Amino acid sequence: MAHGQIAGLTEASVIEGVATPFAVSWQKLMMWLFIVVDALMFAGFLGSYGFVRLASPAWPDRGEVFFLPLIAVMTFVLISSSATMACAVAAARQSDRRLLVRFLWLTVLGGLCFLGMQAYEWTSLIREGATLWSNPWDVPLFTASFFLITGFHGTHVLSGVIILAITALRSASGVSTANGVEVAGLYWHFVDLVWVFIFTFFYLI
Amino acid sequence: MSGTHPAASYKSYWVTWGILLATTCVMLLAEVLSLPAAVVVGILLAAMLVKATLIGAQFMHLRFENAILIVTVAGTIAFFSAYLFILIAFDGLRILKMVQP
Repeated sequence: MAHGQIAGLTEASVIEGVATPFAVSWQKLMMWLFIVVDALMFAGFLGSYGFVRLASPAWPDRGEVFFLPLIAVMTFVLISSSATMACAVAAARQSDRRLLVRFLWLTVLGGLCFLGMQAYEWTSLIREGATLWSNPWDVPLFTASFFLITGFHGTHVLSGVIILAITALRSASGVSTANGVEVAGLYWHFVDLVWVFIFTFFYLI
Repeated sequence: MSGTHPAASYKSYWVTWGILLATTCVMLLAEVLSLPAAVVVGILLAAMLVKATLIGAQFMHLRFENAILIVTVAGTIAFFSAYLFILIAFDGLRILKMVQP
């Protein structure tokens, strides 16, 4: 074995001469590590929401507060945008630029639709008198946790939309790489993944 | 090429999309039907985990990655989230007992 060679490791798992057991590019590894950290942040927010709910003698009936069909449509839109993003990554791997750009813009459109519906939901609640500190249901922490969690998630969706729009423009001009599209896709799928938990814990349970 | 893996087909993504939508419909149905609370919560949590696994495995291609990466990502998130929730649950219930008359 030559000096510097490490048996059993592929070229993909050597980053700048340093062996790594993850066998992915450094860009992908960094995005995965970011996802782990961000997921734990959301876990903290959802955990604190669970604590507040368990410790509260009373909690508003979500069926009376939220319009569940709207939330269902929001979930459908986000899942669909995740599917189009996966197709965009596949198109990038196959070097099909036309299809890649089309799927990227479809994903951006899905993200914008989601944000629009989220804004509508927020507006409806604010018009009913809900704020960070008070609400008509006499449980201030209910709307505090709602606005915090959905606002934090919405910020992620907005930044994802911006990232994907930039990726789409770069892909259209042939600057973006398949690896770059995949890394951007990982972030978008993470945003969808978090919504699965928010949808379950906040709106359904 | 670093990080390459067998590319899933467009068909597999749309099949996954269909399963995710069906699971979401099951969750909504469980919410609407007058089932015991424990059953509803069980269905919702199971469906949530199915959806999360599908998105991670199929869309994020985690199933094609190295086992070490899978354990690092999924294991870390699952372990610390569960640890956090379990600790918080006990404390929350303790406080509820204190504040209730």
